[in-house]
Amino acid sequence: MDIIRIRDLKKVYKTYERGSTFLDTVKSLFVRKCIEIEALKGITLSVGQGEILGFLGPNGAGKSTTLKILTGVLFPTSGEADVMGYTPWRHRKSYVSHIGAVFGQKSQLIWDIPPLDSFEMNKAIYGISDKNYKDRLDSMTEMLGLQNIIRKPTRQLSLGERMKCEFIMAMLHDPGIVFLDEPTIGLDVVAKEKIRDFIREQNKRGVTFILTTHDMGDIEKLAKRVVVINSGELVFDGGMDALRKFSGVKKRVHLAVKKELPPFESDPGVQLISRTSPTVAELELDMARIELNTFIRDINEKYIISDMTMSDPPIESVIRELYTQKSTP
Amino acid sequence: MTRLIKIYLVSLKNSFAARMAYRGDFFLCCVLILVSEMLVPLLTMLIYSTGASFPGWNLAEVMVLQGVFMLARGTANLLFFGIVYNTLSHVREGTYDLFMIKPVSVLFISIASGFEPDSIGTIAGGLLVTAVSAGQLQPPDGADILRFLLIFAFSLLILFSFAVLMSATVFKWVGNSRIYEIFDSITSFGNYPLTIFGRTFRIIISYIIPVSVIAFYPASALLGKDISGFVPAIPVCVLFLILSLGVWKLMLSKYTSAGG
Repeated sequence: MDIIRIRDLKKVYKTYERGSTFLDTVKSLFVRKCIEIEALKGITLSVGQGEILGFLGPNGAGKSTTLKILTGVLFPTSGEADVMGYTPWRHRKSYVSHIGAVFGQKSQLIWDIPPLDSFEMNKAIYGISDKNYKDRLDSMTEMLGLQNIIRKPTRQLSLGERMKCEFIMAMLHDPGIVFLDEPTIGLDVVAKEKIRDFIREQNKRGVTFILTTHDMGDIEKLAKRVVVINSGELVFDGGMDALRKFSGVKKRVHLAVKKELPPFESDPGVQLISRTSPTVAELELDMARIELNTFIRDINEKYIISDMTMSDPPIESVIRELYTQKSTP
Repeated sequence: MTRLIKIYLVSLKNSFAARMAYRGDFFLCCVLILVSEMLVPLLTMLIYSTGASFPGWNLAEVMVLQGVFMLARGTANLLFFGIVYNTLSHVREGTYDLFMIKPVSVLFISIASGFEPDSIGTIAGGLLVTAVSAGQLQPPDGADILRFLLIFAFSLLILFSFAVLMSATVFKWVGNSRIYEIFDSITSFGNYPLTIFGRTFRIIISYIIPVSVIAFYPASALLGKDISGFVPAIPVCVLFLILSLGVWKLMLSKYTSAGG
């Protein structure tokens, strides 16, 4: 069952443009050039209940604008959205009690007092009963290992501890959907793992997550489905496997040989990714253009393989390719 | 309503707790605010010491008026004027989004989270100046005090409308930090008896921008003076409130957030 349905969502906003010289600055005091930015050019999308959707795109692609419209913060210029039966920007007050949001770069915690006081604030705002509040707080603090942390002033907490507390803030009221905007930004691997485990646990309980991130680790470890937007348009919507195969079936080969390797400039289906020494290199093979056994045989005959490992290309390379595309193929 | 009161109380508690994290700064701020607010009464004392005076008002009466002005400003700053700085800073930084994802009125949450404990200094100063000056005059009777309290509620209503109107403008004119100075300039006329102004100006500050309701009419009520001019100002106060709420709603719809 779809919990989010978006149809032809568009957002155009006006901004002012000026040059960077002193003269431009002075001129802008009197005359400013108004320009229209099409942040979203008609996004159509649906999300099923209980999904973890990876929502990707380069900076300025329209991810945050989409998230802000879906959280009721911004009005779209046109288009429709139905989230849990609500139109976010029309029914903001009743709608937002069913959602949660973690903005990696915007804190809901009050800086000078312990997170526990901020949680109390949300308890009052969402009208959470004493029992539910205690149960959920206890379970989440235990899951995130924050029992001894939530009574310290927020300013004394590490970034990882603060981010975990942001999750509690966003989820104390038991929302059905949680929007995550770069929730692991700047965190170390241990903190990232803890947060990913927490998201997985909450997802098992039926919570839907919309995850915006530039960290492909988050996407690979959490999302089963990925949506990529670029310049306000949808350029990909599919599963992780489809995403990996988006630019064809490719393999990464880490190769160590006994004789000096060539530059691989004109070999069809072979692309040199990096070269750490004259005899060690990383290559990407396009399996549609080259047979793997032929490649191995040829290399071994000419350069004598001493070591070789193969893997799928990192998801970043596929994403990079998608980010350079203009619209849906 | 119960939920709103609960939210307000928790917010109040958090604001105090946050401010008490820097106690030295808190006490210093209270004193400095009090000193700066005392400048007008001190100037008035200086004027009267030279033999000059405001027509129809003796020194003690003017001091009551200025004490009431401080009291009104202090109460407004403590309870709801924080909305202006709150909106100003959150809109500029794009964190106003966080208010909009809460299931309560955005205006209410902006007010509740803008509680300013530093204003206790101004309230204390206002109470002190009013009490000491009123002590030199004939004590007000019960009816005077009732009239004062009623008009003082309107005084807070006007200041609330100003706060809402000012915070509304910063949705569109982001980072407009001069807005406080504009407000101070307009409301400073409320520090003086209406009798010192010309007729046209009296009408303007009573029935167009009802600044005189902030202190002149409440103080007049407390002093047992004529307050008949206040009655026509009542609908103006209500209209001013409706206008400010309308403008606020309109401006909120123009909120564009900051880049993500």
